[in-house]
Amino acid sequence: MVAPPRTPLRIDRLRALNVPRRVEVELDQRGRPRAIGDEPRQTIETVGEIWRVDDEWWRQPISRRYVEVILEGGKHAVLFEDLTTKQWWMQMP
Amino acid sequence: MVSTIARRMGVKPGVTVSQAIGLCSPLVLLEPDPVWYDEQFARLLLALSHVSPVIEPAELGRAYVGVDGLEGLYGGPERVLAEIAAAAAEAAVAAGDLATVCSAAPAASPASAAVRLGWGRGKFTAWVAATRAKPGEFVIVADEHRLAFLAAQPVAALPLDPDTHRRLYQLGLKTLGDLTALPEAAVTSQFGRLGRLVWRLAAGLITDPVTGRETPEPITAELDFPTPIADRVILANTIDKLVERALKSPRRTGWRVHTVRARAALEQGASWLIELTLKDPSADQHRLAAPLKMRLEQAPPTGAVERLAVEFTAFAPGTSELQLFARDAQSAARAGRRKALRAAVHEIKARLKRSTLYHVIEVHPWSRLPERRYALIDYEP
Repeated sequence: MVAPPRTPLRIDRLRALNVPRRVEVELDQRGRPRAIGDEPRQTIETVGEIWRVDDEWWRQPISRRYVEVILEGGKHAVLFEDLTTKQWWMQMP
Repeated sequence: MVSTIARRMGVKPGVTVSQAIGLCSPLVLLEPDPVWYDEQFARLLLALSHVSPVIEPAELGRAYVGVDGLEGLYGGPERVLAEIAAAAAEAAVAAGDLATVCSAAPAASPASAAVRLGWGRGKFTAWVAATRAKPGEFVIVADEHRLAFLAAQPVAALPLDPDTHRRLYQLGLKTLGDLTALPEAAVTSQFGRLGRLVWRLAAGLITDPVTGRETPEPITAELDFPTPIADRVILANTIDKLVERALKSPRRTGWRVHTVRARAALEQGASWLIELTLKDPSADQHRLAAPLKMRLEQAPPTGAVERLAVEFTAFAPGTSELQLFARDAQSAARAGRRKALRAAVHEIKARLKRSTLYHVIEVHPWSRLPERRYALIDYEP
């Protein structure tokens, strides 16, 4: 991480980092992710912590169920289910 | 770096540790030790300087040795090679994978298994020859065979970035001979100034000589005492200060001190001298002053001291080319990186008409939503 420059910050030039991307998730019988993606399909080796975030109820409510996973090959990722749309998304931890 | 066995099991540079362990369960991770590499390389340069006065460090692990005129000293190219290899072997007792390139005269017997030597006219030919040599062996490119040798080499031998190499392959250019078969102007129009440079290198038109560095003159820092001093504590403190002052000399920049001495003018015209040659050349104040102070305790002056001087009389190269790794050059490295970054930004903007470099800034670092914690903003140094 680099120290911010002294020049004034221009909000319009900000680009978000770690934007979630849509992903297809295959669930097991208990509703926990078992694999992600269609092509190529990646098996989830380990399911770690699970937590829920409910926020911003005063404007656009956010309701997410996060699942920390380790994919085959060792990649560490965070999946979340948007509980309002029932869609799954993936992010870096 | 990835070992051959790990590479066979699918581990590649750039994969995460967990991925690497997943691919290769008995994997052993070795932490890099840049200071150690730097010390080994400085030792190698020092050893090579005993063979030739013209040594040019190019990068960590690569050095050029100027050998013009050494035949008269050592009695022929093979002897010169033997001297270089022996010096490298002596220095590289533990210097793992150092490659040495020798320009203007050959390389040597495989005294040190990991050192690769190449001989040819000009640094580029010598470098390519060394890259063709197996560890512990050498490749000699006689002047009459130089152009043919270069023409047969793959374009990967050219000092280019991976993208340009890929472009060359996409154009069907596999060897330097393929490249030089094209008109120089065509390559220049496709790749710009860099294209012209590599075409001329490939054609053997550039034979840049090895440029050695002149060793600095001795550096002295001295102090006259208003009244003669016999107190060893004061003398020790003075040595500390004088070492510090001598290290700050601009002439010392880029060099480590190999030999240091302290001398004193005593009352009634007597004198006192101690001299130390460091096993590992250093630019660290404590490492230079500590042995002097120890000798001061063991063999103090026989009278009160009127004038005390600390003198650096021999130097070892090492820090200017290796700023990133040198203990005493961290600030220089920071300044160098900033300068390099500014130049890179300028270059990118000139080529792409926009910046593609960004700062990572904190937005809401404690947000429960990961995408709101950090953001990118244009980098403008």
